[in-house]
Order: sequence, then C-alpha cells, then structure tokens
Amino acid sequence: MNRGLWTRETVVMLLLAAYLPLALFWLWFGGIADVHRYALVLLVLAIWQLVFLLARAQPVSLSAVFTALAIAMLVPEDLGAFRLILGISFGAVMGELVFGGWGRNVVNPATVTLSFLGFGFPALPWPDILVPVAWAAIPTALIGLITGAMPAGVVLGAALGAGVAVPLGLLPSSTLPAAGVVLVLLVADPVTSATTSLGRWLNGLLYLALVILFANGWSGAAPVQLAVAAALLTSLAAPVLDEIALMIWYAERRRRHGRD
Amino acid sequence: MVQGAPVAHIRNNPDVCFVAPMPARVARISLLQGHKVSEIVFFHEPDGDVVSHDTTDVKTEPGLRRLMQRSGFWTWLRRRPFGGMPSADERPAAIVVMAADTRPFAPDPRLALEGREEALCRGLTALRLLTDGPVFLCQEAGAALIESTEARRIRVIDTGPRHPQAAAGLCIHRYYPAGIDTPVWDLHAEDVAALGTLLATGRLPMKRLVSVGGPALRESRLVRAQAGADLRGLTHRHVLPGPHKLLSGSVLDGHPAHWLAPRHRQVTVLPRDTLPKRPHWLIAALTQSASPKPVIPTAALDQAFAGTLPAANFLRVLSAGDDETAMKMGVLSLLEEDIALADYVLGGEAHLPELLRGMLDRIRTEFSA
Repeated sequence: MNRGLWTRETVVMLLLAAYLPLALFWLWFGGIADVHRYALVLLVLAIWQLVFLLARAQPVSLSAVFTALAIAMLVPEDLGAFRLILGISFGAVMGELVFGGWGRNVVNPATVTLSFLGFGFPALPWPDILVPVAWAAIPTALIGLITGAMPAGVVLGAALGAGVAVPLGLLPSSTLPAAGVVLVLLVADPVTSATTSLGRWLNGLLYLALVILFANGWSGAAPVQLAVAAALLTSLAAPVLDEIALMIWYAERRRRHGRD
Repeated sequence: MVQGAPVAHIRNNPDVCFVAPMPARVARISLLQGHKVSEIVFFHEPDGDVVSHDTTDVKTEPGLRRLMQRSGFWTWLRRRPFGGMPSADERPAAIVVMAADTRPFAPDPRLALEGREEALCRGLTALRLLTDGPVFLCQEAGAALIESTEARRIRVIDTGPRHPQAAAGLCIHRYYPAGIDTPVWDLHAEDVAALGTLLATGRLPMKRLVSVGGPALRESRLVRAQAGADLRGLTHRHVLPGPHKLLSGSVLDGHPAHWLAPRHRQVTVLPRDTLPKRPHWLIAALTQSASPKPVIPTAALDQAFAGTLPAANFLRVLSAGDDETAMKMGVLSLLEEDIALADYVLGGEAHLPELLRGMLDRIRTEFSA
C-alpha cells in the first residue's frame, strides 16, 4: 500500500489516544452520574450524526467521542435531560454538522454547546475541575503534541504564557485547572484553531490573555465559565490571527525577494 | 544513427534538437494526431560512433546556447513556472542546480559526481553566462562539492536530509521564487557535469546514474543508463515472481511507464495491487460518501512542505482554485513532484497534483497572455 495515513480518521484516532488519560481520570474521580451524562451526550451526538448520514450522505466520525467528553466534563450542573439534549443538538448541528462534519467546522461543537447552555441558563452552577483531573491534561497535551495531532503553538503559547503570568500574579492559580482542561479540550483543536505557525502562537496567547482578562474583570464567574467564554472568542478570532500571520509572511517574503 | 546525432527538432526552432542517446538504428516512430511525435524507439548498435561538437565558440552566450541546443542538452533543462523545457531564447532570472535528492530510493548525487568535480565546476561556470541572476547549487550538508574560489557567483546551499527538504520546487520557493516574468531553471548536478564534459571534449555523455529499487525486487541496484531506457530491460532477472508494475520515478511522484522518463533518475518496482474488494454498502456509506475529504492541519502536513509554506492555507487556496492568492503564496515555483509528498501524506484522496496542474494551466492562459 503506497498511501499515507494522515486522513481525518487517523487524526481522530490520535486525538482519542491523547484524551484517554483525561477521560480516565475524570471518570475515576467522578461518580456514576458522570458516566450517565457522558452516555447521554454520546447518544445524542450519535443520533445527529446518523441523521446527517442519512439525509446528507455525510460520513460519520469518531470525533463525537471526544466532543462528548468535552461537553460532559464542562457542562453546567443540574440542567436536566431536556435542556441538555437541546443544547447538544444546537451545538452539534449548528457548530459542526451543517458545515459538513468534523474537519470542515469553523467552531468547536463542544464550545458552541457549552456557550449556548452557559448563556442560556446563567443561574446554574458550573462544575469544579478537580486538581488530579487537571494534572491529567498534561499527558493529554504531551500525546497530542508528540503525535502532531494538536497544534504545538497553541498549547505551548498558552502554557508558556501561563508560566509567566502566574508568578506575576496576573492569573489567579484557582483558575488554572479549568483553564488547562479547556485548553486541551476546546482550544487545542487542530480544525478550529489557527493554522499558520505564528497564528497558532497568537492563538494560544490570545486565549491566555482573555482568561486573564475575565479572571480579573468578570466578577462572579466560575473558572470553567470564563475559560469556555475565552475559548469561544478565541476560536472566532482564529481566522483573523491567521490572516495577520499571512500578511506578516507576505511582507517578509516581499522584503527578502523584492516581489511576491 | 551515431550517438548524439539529431533525430528531431522543434519546428519553429530548428536549433533545439532531440538527439540519439546511443549509437543506434531507428526501430519505430509513432505519431499522434496532427503528426505530433509520440515516441521514437531505437535499437542499440554495438559498434557505433559518437558525434563530436565544435566547441570553439562557447565563451559567448549565443555560442553556448547553440551548442546546448544542438547537442540535445537543452531538453534536459526545466523551467518554472509551469514546467517543461524553456524556449530557445529565454533568459532565466536564476538557475538552480540540484545536487541533492531526498526522494525514497533516490541515487546519491555525490556518488554520481564522484571524480567529476572539475566538469561540474566547468558546467556551473558556463551556466553563469546564461543568466544575470545567481546560480544556486543545492547540496546535502557535508563536504563542499566545489571550491569556493572557483565559483564567485555561485551560491552553495545546504539542504536537509529528509524529503522534501531537497525538492527543487521548495528550494526555489525558499531562495528565489519563480514568477511569470522571472523564470527559474532547475537541472540536476549530474547534467551540469555532463555539460562540463561536453564543453571540454565536444561529446555529451548520455548516461546517468539510475537507481532501480522497490519492494518487488530481489535487490535494489544502481545502474548507468540513458534517459528513455527500457524499464523492463533494467529490471529483467531482478524482480520477484508475481505481478508487478514498473514506475518511472519515485514511488511518490512516479508514473507507470515503459521507458525511463527524461528527467527521472530512478525506477521503482511495486507489487501490483489486486483490485480492492468492494466494501459493504453500509461501510462504504459510513466512510466514503463525501468527497473530497477534509484536510486536517497537523504537524505531518506542515512537514510535507518542509515548513516553507503555510501548508493548510495553501491547500485550502489550491482546492478552492484561488489563483491570485496562490500566486502570492508561491505556487509558480512548484510543480507536481513538489507536492507529491503532501498528496501521499493525505492518503491520496485530495488529488493535489491534478489540482496544481489545473491551476498552473489556468494561470498560464489567464496571466501570461
């Protein structure tokens, strides 16, 4: 066989391997309610994939497994099944499936779901990210970076920036677990983050800057809430960051070669 | 026919000749519609002579051009943008000589150039006559191929050892991008050494180092062969039993062929794949119904362009057919063989070489009229 392997489903497999430590730690420290919620989210996503397979001939993708993980880990508590299903349906359909499935979406479907539920039902409490679960984000990021499935600039930009911001007192350390988990689950998504190397670093730094801004200026926000809001705004800004990086690259080439 | 005797020439440029690659007898000439020559087949004649060219006038540019064109050397040149042989009076903005080849199973250019350093220097010095711009020599990191004192206007560039770090198009893209008004020629260092020999002796060496490799061979080997050599002759008695297919070129950018293609230096022998079993209709619906498949920007994709291009953005522009942005990104420096690795990495489902050829043809008709 003389064909390469980096198709969409290979990247999905590598991302699944990367998210495995995070999922195991989360389930280990969670209860049976978490398992139920995860199963429900997965079921709803699977049904919508099936609907789009039959109606639009859109191939299904295992990416639903980690989208479901992100939603189940970060969704506000005490929602009830009906509102949860409504939010997931909105996020999966409008965030991913109408664009042609995973790989063509412009925002992460989990980000859309979480923002929709978070802004729609603001009174509900957000979950706490336990510190051991947050530590599991480190092996997740490592696997993602080593296999090349996660954009290195995004993860490193945010992580190195946080390494500077925390000692300076800009970023309260209580937001770190939530910010880290949201970074690997929502921001470090190869499809919806920036695609140029400079754009990726800007993407990671912008996420960190928004988290710092919200942590200091948004009183009463839960850590997960502000991290999700930062992730949504970052993924919306990703094309602009790419455009900036490309403009710099064009200018650099014009300066070096005297023409385009 | 003696070796080096002209057998065909371009109709409106009688100086640009195609020559016999060995002392031979013409076996067959096949024509396409409109009397276009498709192929000329030769039989080898063991006791033939070699044409000796007059080399008195090669210190001037017109004399050198005429010698290159009459001896058949001109057909070994390739120009970018768009590929193919340059026209007889084209003056390139730069010339890139590739003394590095990172394709799988490619013959080592250093081996091909062993003992021919003097001829290489003479060839490079002659190439400087043809352009006002720089002449680049891309070599794999290691000992310098030429003395720096002999080559003042020649820029030596070290390339990396991994494919596609020594792909000609990506080197051109990085160091001297080609444009519609600024064509860049590229040629192999072994050919430049042949030019040096031609200038010294009047006889153009026709043989080149060719590697014959691939999984369907008993053992891979290096041979010296002419362009147009019969691939079955090169692999006879060396293939494993069973069905196989012969590619001229590497496994990435080669094509099934009967003869060694003009600029290729390797032959790949692959086991012929049996027709894939048709998957169950439900499995096919689940996996194959949407085409083209989305391209996920990963580190592998960036590596497939050796980091010289914003890979995901370039592929997006290429598949959308946005000619102007692609020209800004440097599509004019590239040919199919340069993006063959990216196509391979993505599983061959993106059809990038076809997209690139379509875009280049469109740019040629629209912009360079």
